[in-house]
Amino acid sequence: MIRLEGVTKRYPNGHHGLVDVSLTIHRGEFVFLVGPSGAGKSTLIRLLYGEDRATQGDVMIDQFRLGSMSLRQLPRLRRKLGIVFQDGKLLPTRTVFQNVAFAMEVVGASKKDIMRRVPQVLELVGLRRRRDHYPDQLSGGEQQRVGIARALVNQPTYVLADEPTGNLDPDTAADIMRLFTEINRRGATVLMATHARELVNHLQKRVIAIEDGRIVRDEARGAYGYDA
Amino acid sequence: MTLSSIGYLLRETGRSLRRNLWMTVASVSTVAISLFVLAVFVVVSTNVTHVTTLLQNQVELKVFIKPKTNRAQEMALLKQVRVWPDVRRVEFFTKVQAAAQLRREFPDQQALFQVIAHSNPLLDGYDVFTHTPDQIPAVAHRFARERIVHNVIYQGTIIKRLTGLGRIVKWSGWIVEALLAAATLLIIINTIRLAVFARRREIQVMRLVGATNWFIRWPFILEGLVIGLLGTFLSELVVGLGYRWVLARAAIALPFWPMVNLHTIMVRTTLFTGLGGLAVGTIASVIALRRFLRV
Repeated sequence: MIRLEGVTKRYPNGHHGLVDVSLTIHRGEFVFLVGPSGAGKSTLIRLLYGEDRATQGDVMIDQFRLGSMSLRQLPRLRRKLGIVFQDGKLLPTRTVFQNVAFAMEVVGASKKDIMRRVPQVLELVGLRRRRDHYPDQLSGGEQQRVGIARALVNQPTYVLADEPTGNLDPDTAADIMRLFTEINRRGATVLMATHARELVNHLQKRVIAIEDGRIVRDEARGAYGYDA
Repeated sequence: MTLSSIGYLLRETGRSLRRNLWMTVASVSTVAISLFVLAVFVVVSTNVTHVTTLLQNQVELKVFIKPKTNRAQEMALLKQVRVWPDVRRVEFFTKVQAAAQLRREFPDQQALFQVIAHSNPLLDGYDVFTHTPDQIPAVAHRFARERIVHNVIYQGTIIKRLTGLGRIVKWSGWIVEALLAAATLLIIINTIRLAVFARRREIQVMRLVGATNWFIRWPFILEGLVIGLLGTFLSELVVGLGYRWVLARAAIALPFWPMVNLHTIMVRTTLFTGLGGLAVGTIASVIALRRFLRV
């Protein structure tokens, strides 16, 4: 379970990222985070994976209280999370397979597990045939799939995605979105910050809208609600 | 840490050392040169100590007795000297024994022996040994005050100078070494910093997927260590070959000069250069990681 209680994030320059935000996301949910640019969507996601700390209030993910957690604990939290970015943050000198395997290697997975798990995930994201390609040989959508595969390979409980379709054309974006719903169907909790209006409206999932750092709307079967 | 993690660690270290090949070469050479200088100081200082010890164990004082002193007086003094606290051992010799000794040491000097055989100009005396070299001057003075003593000869000055020389070699060695160590440290820090920079994307991904800080640090620390130990290996190679050559030359040029053998030198210098390489490599990585890798 993800829980925020009265969370405020103020940046040193005085800018307010978030103001008194409270929300709860249960396991298995699929949640869209919408709102204008600079409203605080990315700030919220950064707080959740421990990149930033709240100025006030509590951020909790399962047994982790992120406000009082030591930096040593951070890796343990991150292993429960799969994080996907707008730019895939792929390693250009490694192949698709190596990029995904890297995420397992660095948390100490055995060679056997890596050889078993990586092909499964590549199959799931539809990149089985691309396993030996380098990132610059892939299309934008395919690169994003590699990023997703890497986020999934360690079987996270929560998948956090910050505008994963931001750089993609509408058709490709729809494919990627279908992939996220599939991931959610298989049990992962998904929280996605997005501007993809059509897709949000189409999928009829929970929508949390943020403006100026405040939650202005939280609907179980919501719509994007902003004019493009 | 699992077996596959160790495999990963070694692969990553090797990858990084190869990627920055020229920085690696530069770092290893700097370490090697500075450790070689350290080794040279160790070699010189070990040899000086060796000679000093040898000299100390040889006859320390020779006390000669005035001619026409009778044997009873000589024996009386001998008896007294035996209980002097600074004296470890004392041996009496007659001028006849002294002549025989001379004949053994210089068998070619026939003319000299003819003179001695005719009327022996040598003197009776004592060989005196002290416990430590600093006791020599006092003992020499005490003998000089005895009525029957003609004169006292001792090598205390040489030993004192050698001990002093040894101290100078040691201290100048440490000072030069401190300067070299600082330069070496800076170069390795820079190499590690470049390695961290080259791997910044990997580090970012590692942090996102939950690699522990130590898992991220280890390849860099290992890299520093490998650089340090390669430097040790190179410098020891040069020291070993170099000292063997010096020993061979010394055997011809200075046959009586006592040199420390190769084995002792290698053990001693490896101790210093090994620890030096290890220390400089590890310290440099730790500093580099502190400053350039905030994990």
